[in-house]
Amino acid sequence: MRKRALALLMTCVLSMTALAGCGGNTDGSSQAEVQSSAGTESSSGGEIQKLDEKTAASAIDNLVANTKDTVQLTVWASEMDQDFTQTLLDQFKAKYPSVKFDFQLGIQSEAGAKDAVMADPTAAADVYAFADDQLIELINVKGLTEVSTAYTYDVASENSASSIAAATYNGKVYAYPMTGDNGYFMYYNSSIFSAEDMVSFDKMVEVAKQKGVTIGYQKGGWYLHGFFDAEGTGHYADLQSDGSTTCNWNDQVGVDIANAIIQYAKDGVLVMADDSTAAEAFKAGTMGAVVSGTWAAQNFSDALGSNYAACIMPKFKAGGKEYQMTAYLGFKLIGVNPNSAYLPWAMLLAEYLTCEESQIARFQARQLGPSNVKAASSDAVLKDVAIAAISAQGAHGTLQRVGGNYWASSESLSDILISGNPDGQDVQKLLDDAVSGITAK
Amino acid sequence: MMDQMEKSGDGIRIQKMGMSQKRRIGGVCKTVLLFILACIWLIPILWLLVTAFSAYPGMSRTRFFPEKWTLDNFNRLFFHPDSILQYGRWFFNTLVIALFTCIVSSIFVLMVSYSLSCMRFPGRQGIIRFSMILGMFPGALSMIAVYFIMKSIGLTNSHIGMVVVYSAGSGLGYLIVKGFMDTVPASMREAAKIEGANEFKIFTRVMLPLCRPIIVYTVISTFLGPWSDFMFARLMLNSGLSKDWTVAIGLYNMLDKSLIGQNFSAFCAGGLVISIPIAILFAIMQKYYVEGVTSGSTKG
Amino acid sequence: MATEKPKQKKSFAQTAFARYFIDFGEAIAKGDWAVKASLGVMGMGFFKRKQIAKGVLVTLVQLAYLLCFILFSIPNLAKFSTLGTVQYQDPKINPLTFEVEQFPYDNSFLILIYGIASLFLLFVFLLFYVHNVKQAYAVMCDAQNGKHVNSFKEDLQQMLGKKFHVTLLSIPTVGVVLMNILPLLVLIAIAFTNYDKNHMPPGTLFTWVGFENFTDLFGGKLSLTFGYAFKKVLAWTLTWAFLATFTCFIGGILLALLINSEGVKLPKMWRTLFVIAIAVPQFVTLILVRNFFADQGIFNQICQNLGILDLCKGLGLVNKNATFIPFLTDKNWTKVMIILINIWVGIPYQMLIATGVLMNAPKDQLESARIDGANKWKIFWKIIIPYILVVQGPALITDFVRNINNFNVIYLLTQDVYITQDAGLYKSNAKEVDLLVTWLFRLTQEEQNYKMASVIGIIVFVISVVFTLISYSRLMKGGREEDYQI
Repeated sequence: MRKRALALLMTCVLSMTALAGCGGNTDGSSQAEVQSSAGTESSSGGEIQKLDEKTAASAIDNLVANTKDTVQLTVWASEMDQDFTQTLLDQFKAKYPSVKFDFQLGIQSEAGAKDAVMADPTAAADVYAFADDQLIELINVKGLTEVSTAYTYDVASENSASSIAAATYNGKVYAYPMTGDNGYFMYYNSSIFSAEDMVSFDKMVEVAKQKGVTIGYQKGGWYLHGFFDAEGTGHYADLQSDGSTTCNWNDQVGVDIANAIIQYAKDGVLVMADDSTAAEAFKAGTMGAVVSGTWAAQNFSDALGSNYAACIMPKFKAGGKEYQMTAYLGFKLIGVNPNSAYLPWAMLLAEYLTCEESQIARFQARQLGPSNVKAASSDAVLKDVAIAAISAQGAHGTLQRVGGNYWASSESLSDILISGNPDGQDVQKLLDDAVSGITAK
Repeated sequence: MMDQMEKSGDGIRIQKMGMSQKRRIGGVCKTVLLFILACIWLIPILWLLVTAFSAYPGMSRTRFFPEKWTLDNFNRLFFHPDSILQYGRWFFNTLVIALFTCIVSSIFVLMVSYSLSCMRFPGRQGIIRFSMILGMFPGALSMIAVYFIMKSIGLTNSHIGMVVVYSAGSGLGYLIVKGFMDTVPASMREAAKIEGANEFKIFTRVMLPLCRPIIVYTVISTFLGPWSDFMFARLMLNSGLSKDWTVAIGLYNMLDKSLIGQNFSAFCAGGLVISIPIAILFAIMQKYYVEGVTSGSTKG
Repeated sequence: MATEKPKQKKSFAQTAFARYFIDFGEAIAKGDWAVKASLGVMGMGFFKRKQIAKGVLVTLVQLAYLLCFILFSIPNLAKFSTLGTVQYQDPKINPLTFEVEQFPYDNSFLILIYGIASLFLLFVFLLFYVHNVKQAYAVMCDAQNGKHVNSFKEDLQQMLGKKFHVTLLSIPTVGVVLMNILPLLVLIAIAFTNYDKNHMPPGTLFTWVGFENFTDLFGGKLSLTFGYAFKKVLAWTLTWAFLATFTCFIGGILLALLINSEGVKLPKMWRTLFVIAIAVPQFVTLILVRNFFADQGIFNQICQNLGILDLCKGLGLVNKNATFIPFLTDKNWTKVMIILINIWVGIPYQMLIATGVLMNAPKDQLESARIDGANKWKIFWKIIIPYILVVQGPALITDFVRNINNFNVIYLLTQDVYITQDAGLYKSNAKEVDLLVTWLFRLTQEEQNYKMASVIGIIVFVISVVFTLISYSRLMKGGREEDYQI
């Protein structure tokens, strides 16, 4: 089972206990095992040549000497990352005092980077942040430069193997891992649920019914994956090389799972929620737990106060069997646009934005979990409730590799199931429709 | 102007003799109905207004009126810009783009209208028919081609480019103005011609002064177009640099999923501010607006 | 416009078309050596008549065009038939020296745009060329007949006199060419290529595919999804355009009548109250309203508190387990809401216009109807509505077409909110509430499917044009407008 292999590896790399033992260099054999759930091509981490310090220094000196005009680079960072990225840009400028830089910092969310780059790659930023699931499409429109050489730090070995795998396509690395905390897990109110309750969804539902609270689940295929591709179901939704997706959710296990979700919803416990409604409901005490990711940590921590807690996705029962829920894990990567007029500087800047110090600083400024293993093992990072939960979730996670047709179909399905199948449609047919939509060419 | 409307109302007032009491009851019913309708129309606007003064940054689902009132949102918009929220810049950009578009477009429209309404030359019919068909082409589709054409002449991400995009095709929007000019008696032009004026003089000295109401209408509508446009701006200003944005893109961006929790009341404040110039324009020029629209459409 | 008769157009156009070439032939045949020489050097005809400045100007234009033809048109037109052959290659970076090696490549899209621009320029130049020869001939005739030949100064004066329309129209025309005609031609061309996600310049080339995209839409291999989605979207587009136009139209009239009717005090104040709602730009109000009616929004909370949610459950309008009314997330609710919200947005405008139109209502007819003892409703339906229909008819058609292309209302209300549950629709990136324009916009923005978007765009264009032409000719035929001519 590929997913198991990945899961094992993620445990190894991300979970805090194992970190000391496994961090740093991952040996070649385990790297070969890292596979994304993509079906056809192997996504094991590609090779990046790390120049020794002397060669690297002379290469950079050569570049500095040859740079006569002002280096104009546009950088895209998300709305929330603006101030922090600006400080990094200023620091980068200070590192090369003899070179004139003209940095333009633009706003572009990591999730929307693909649409913005694909609309016109030649007008896109020189250096930009994006979510790892967009990698293949960005490569297809020639929006990413291959990372074949590392100058200032060893990109391949300092980042977690799974993050490098997420930046790899056909054996080549195309981006620099920046964060490793994109994924979801459970936030809960510790005055309503105990840590033991949170192990099983069915137990949570029972307690929630008693106490008259709800459990929030977010809409959309990204979250629905947590139920359907749960460990032991034998389910998959895998990207193929032609951009389509294979998927087998419409078997008997799938029907059982769908019925289980519908039942949770009909019990009035499972409700659709987004981050802002969940925060309000947490504050009002009407919601006990919700699925979300690290981006909502501050909101929920404010809403829940001392009852703020987080843990991995629970197990749930469907058709008499118990399955461990999974989660999509994602990485934010920094890519370099091959259309850049100052390609070497763009690459050096991308290295700087993702190096260990920058990742630690990013965690401190923005509470974003690092992909750099050294940064991830720092004390400050380990103390964070949400980051700890996402690290633990690494043991039960999947790299997100699905085609474009996955989203609309799975979102429709999630809508229907979480609202309790309001029209009473035939569940098997719902799943058949969803699968045919997901697998459409 | 309203007096004029009052009088005109008489024309359609459906009068019945006698039964003043019945009439009074009818008046009360109508007023009540109007009151209800006005409420429906104003509730969202009221929501915008009160939320703009809310101390809670996100969108509350439980309270219509804010818990705490504050002016901080406006303060933030104008005096504490950050890399995302640069409302002052956006407002300035939008104003500059809209003003220049308004000048160029108005001139274009008047030029085209005059030549098609007051002059006779071979091919005039063809131009009218051709332009009517051309105007049917959906703007949403041509946007992408427009983008690449502008890019190949280096005018994307530039405010000059925005003015070009908004105003270049404006000549096609001549119908209403032409309709108005058609109603100006030809004898006035003839008289000027006999006095030895050329067409240029007739255009500037005779026609333009007569067209004041429709010019006001044209100026307002060509100003409002870019002032509240969203799609073209989003397509053309794609560098992601907040300082280049217009208010529309900036406000839309503030309601991005990850930002709505911190920005909803600021969005409302921003929406309120952008509405003020429009409200003032409408208030001053409502008369011309109505006259312009109706004369153009009645006589077009 | 009303005075122009469309019937004679065709024969007129035909003769004009033929005359164009006959005149040209006559100019060449009967012209002297200077006129014939202007076929080669365009200024020659004018030089002979001592119109030196004009001749120099014309020759300069010719030279400029030839230069542009060689430098710009030839390279692009040479590749136009294939839309480029040289594939893009990633730049190579030397790891030790940071030297970057770039490789030249063809960009199909630029070749397409420049190629079309070249063809268009060629066409315009040919028109100019023929016109020039005819002018040279005309000047020759004038000179031979002893008529006055204009000096350059007089020519310039004419540009503000007899030929003022040329001065007035030239710059706006350049603008229209740039913003309307070229994009139109480019998009028509794209409908015949395979420009989509897998063929995206600059990374990959695209090329001509003939009518493949059209056959795909109407029965080819994609027909199962695209054809299905197209039918549904088209049906909703027309339904929407009809409902949106007529609800606002009738609503505006009723509101105007109500405000102006007897017994209502302070009509100015009431009018202003409604106008306030349109003083806020659409992108603000629509996004605001979208949040107002969100599943987890404030209006749902109000409905829940007032028991409207339970009422809807009782009526079977929402399902029994719902915790909210899916105003903008269920397909039927959303369609109704979109129309209602559009009424909210549109009526104040229509009310203003209707107020103005009613000012000029035919008072004598109203008077005589009143004397005849007709009741209110009869007057309304028999006099006011027909009057407004005639006056507002053309505007109504424009509104209808505008609603077919009403991007803002649909896009801003449903984008990121509404999710389709129909497999056939989401496979082709459509939604139940999509209009053809929003569908094609999302096809380009989210799927980069430019070829299908162009096909849809052409269809929207054809529908709009056909509809407009038919209804205009109907309206013109009616001839009832004289009754109300003011």
